[in-house]
Amino acid sequence: MSGVTKTASGLTDNEAKEFHNLFVSSFVIFTIVAIIAHILVWQWRPWLPPVGGYATSAIDGVKFVTSFLA
Amino acid sequence: MWRIWLLFDPRRALVGLGVFLFVLAVLIHFIVLSTDRFNWIEGPHHSAAAQMAPLPAAVK
Repeated sequence: MSGVTKTASGLTDNEAKEFHNLFVSSFVIFTIVAIIAHILVWQWRPWLPPVGGYATSAIDGVKFVTSFLA
Repeated sequence: MWRIWLLFDPRRALVGLGVFLFVLAVLIHFIVLSTDRFNWIEGPHHSAAAQMAPLPAAVK
């Protein structure tokens, strides 16, 4: 086995390729799950507020107005 | 791209990546939880004043 060059990680080329395939497919699955999660959260509550900030519930507006009454 | 695994030992890389992703996930969940809009446990926190706001004074 003198032909085997010593790599920093100790893996042979084939082992590195084999691991890389598993690593990439795991990464893709992880990313798909993350994208689905973000889509669900966006449906629940979007997170990019308009300039004036998120529209608070109607009651806050009413209270704000009624606060002007003498 | 696979050559990266000739440089970095996969086992240590996976452990490092796992720890890093976990800490980041916990951090982000707590940040989001600390906001008013996205608190999915208690919902928006109405400040005490809002809940017990007195009736507006009678108009003279």
